[in-house]
Amino acid sequence: MSEAAAGDLSVSIWRGGADGAFARYQVPARASQTVLDVVTHVQRHIDPTLSYRFACRVGMCGSCAMTVNGRPRWTCRTHVSKVAEGGRLEIAPLANLPVIKDLAADMSPFFEKWQAAGGAFAPTLSRADPVEPIRPSEPDRVVADAGIECINCGVCYAGCDTVRWNAAYVGPAALNRAWTLMNDRRDGAQRERLAAVAADGGCHACHSHQSCQDFCPQSLSPTGAISGLKRMAMKAYLRGELKP
Amino acid sequence: MEIERIRTDILILGSGGAGLFAALHAHDRNPDLAVTVATKGLLGKCGCTRMVQGGYNVSLHAGDSVERHFMDTIEGGKWLPDQELAWTLVSTAPERVRELENEVGCFFDRNPDGSLHGKAFAGQTFDRTVHKGDLTGIEIINRLMEQVWKRRGIGKLEEHRALALIPTPAGDALAGVLMADIRTGHLRFVQARAVLMATGGGPTMYRYHTPSGDKSMDGLAMALRAGLPLRDMEMVQFHPTGLLAGPDTRMTGTVLEEGLRGAGGHLLDGAGRRFMADYDPKLERATRDVVSRAIYAEMKAGRTTPNGGVYIRMSHLGPADVAKRFKGMVDRCRDCGFDLAGGLVEVVPTAHYFMGGVACRPDTATELPGLFVAGEDASGMHGANRLGGNGVANSTVFGGIAGDRMPDVIAASGGFREPDESRIAAEAARCLHPFTRKPGDVNALRERLMDLMWDEVGVVRDAAGLRRGLAGLDAIEAELLETGIADGARAFNLTWHDWLNLRSLVETSRVIALAAERRENSRGAHYRADFPEPGDLATSTFTVVRRVGESLTITDEPVRFTRVRPGETLLEPPMAAE
Repeated sequence: MSEAAAGDLSVSIWRGGADGAFARYQVPARASQTVLDVVTHVQRHIDPTLSYRFACRVGMCGSCAMTVNGRPRWTCRTHVSKVAEGGRLEIAPLANLPVIKDLAADMSPFFEKWQAAGGAFAPTLSRADPVEPIRPSEPDRVVADAGIECINCGVCYAGCDTVRWNAAYVGPAALNRAWTLMNDRRDGAQRERLAAVAADGGCHACHSHQSCQDFCPQSLSPTGAISGLKRMAMKAYLRGELKP
Repeated sequence: MEIERIRTDILILGSGGAGLFAALHAHDRNPDLAVTVATKGLLGKCGCTRMVQGGYNVSLHAGDSVERHFMDTIEGGKWLPDQELAWTLVSTAPERVRELENEVGCFFDRNPDGSLHGKAFAGQTFDRTVHKGDLTGIEIINRLMEQVWKRRGIGKLEEHRALALIPTPAGDALAGVLMADIRTGHLRFVQARAVLMATGGGPTMYRYHTPSGDKSMDGLAMALRAGLPLRDMEMVQFHPTGLLAGPDTRMTGTVLEEGLRGAGGHLLDGAGRRFMADYDPKLERATRDVVSRAIYAEMKAGRTTPNGGVYIRMSHLGPADVAKRFKGMVDRCRDCGFDLAGGLVEVVPTAHYFMGGVACRPDTATELPGLFVAGEDASGMHGANRLGGNGVANSTVFGGIAGDRMPDVIAASGGFREPDESRIAAEAARCLHPFTRKPGDVNALRERLMDLMWDEVGVVRDAAGLRRGLAGLDAIEAELLETGIADGARAFNLTWHDWLNLRSLVETSRVIALAAERRENSRGAHYRADFPEPGDLATSTFTVVRRVGESLTITDEPVRFTRVRPGETLLEPPMAAE
């Protein structure tokens, strides 16, 4: 490892599993450098056993999210200059998920909950049918489109206080997806999904702290989606379509 | 080392468009079968289908036809495609898009009247590219992965790396696949009655490349060692505008979309001079291969930007308009520290897609019984050039076909086959080899490989350079085999996997260089400075490389014009395709 120089970053990286600890590294600062590049430098040049996850490098796969100076972020699209405070970086795995090793979190609870909230399209047509004509200006389609570009990176889930306090809570991403499906008139599981998201651990568990929309790298509003689900569930109670 | 044994009726390697479609189709065709998807990263989150920006070519619109899509594909492929594979691609695409919309739950962009929007895409005579904004791949993969997660019967082996295709002792069929569990570092032999290889190609052996970081040609390296024929291996597609952000950043090489040039973006040399007029009257709107070669020539002539590329300039179109029209690109550049809308951004040609791969039949079967192949691991659909929008069509069409076919083949051919234990042992030793050598600098070798391939086997090739390339590959491989990794921490050891990636890349790089040396003409993505003419189309051949014993053999096979011959068209009334 080279001597610490004025241009170096002082980087603390989580090593080990849940009972691990931070280790400190000196990484040369560069003009074009993302947090993922910093992590990569440590693995390539300082400690070849450092574990982390990434794939696409451009903010499309959502594999590389980590906690950077206390906040969940995509590391591939986070320039060091935007987040390094006094040349200091602290990088940890995503919160609210089990740690596999070092910076790699186990995402499976996140996807289990996505499914628990009815997060899959239920078809009513088949490949033998023509594609359904749907005008992009239809109000429910506009609502669905507003939330559809989620890449399931887990940033909102890791940043959610309610998830931290309530392990049963399915979290913002799953509810956001459920909301887009509730506004998809091609879907055939509306009633079942509404029952799922209105159950314990569903939309009513949200305390509207709005961290999800503050943190969402895609600028989506899971908070808005969750309030939409709450309203929809309330109407269904009043109509007697949903048991309280 | 202890090697765990598990069984599944169907094993699918890869979770891009091909792998996920195969899993859905196989499971839905026979839910009693055990179907397992093994993927190098997380399910649906690695690989390149997710990164598709452009869209999906399909003849679903009034005025278009399967024949027209076919002719565009054949013309684009410079008459090298296998016409039965290309026909299967274009004729199955409409059903696949209807399935994506109606059963999987994708929602593609609509016209104001509610019908599917088709956008214009380079090299096509009809605006047939169905898309979801410029994030089409995310919509397709997100919806597919949800459907796979929903089917609880589909097994998942995430963060599992395929190491080797293991045949029977007689070598007459595939018995299963040796894998490494990346998380634990343990080896596992997965015995399967049918295997789909859909790991994606991904020419990441070049200095500048677009594919996701997990891609390292593992599938083709495994196929080569299994003795399978690889075709069109000289055909590497370069995209003209990869982001050039300097060394030591993973941002470098990532693609800046085609539409920037289409909309009127300018390319400038290091001194700020617009240079495309020196190369083609269509200027920046010339085809990918022409623009890539022009930029490459500017770089060779030394007229470069500080990091050794050229500039793209959009600001003359109005920064506010550019920021609105290309929001995704502008946002990404901004996050990475560059002002695409108002400033200059350095770009460089970047290796994007691999047309070469395993030779296969239209039903995705290979020469080895039990092994099927789809997506970028397969070859013959695109010939010398892939049309933008035919990549995701290819992976989803043939992944689905493989998923339909494998249960039928299993029903007809019976049970599990016993593996050649000596091959398992040899392949296990091969992957553990770096732990037997003194630790060294794997990354330095990776850097050398990328420079070598870029310089000698890249955008513009000639005989002398290709010979230097082949010699350089031998030297890098020899050094790699003496470069070790400290043992003791095999769990989630990315450096071990970097080593394995590099070995796959060196093996496939050698095949690319050999095939490029063999083709003494210039077609599509393959350009020989010493043989710049395309050659006679009517007597077109394609290259086939296979390993026999310890050596590689290469042959030229005649293209069979089973549906249309050069100079003819399937379109009625005849229209000249451009």
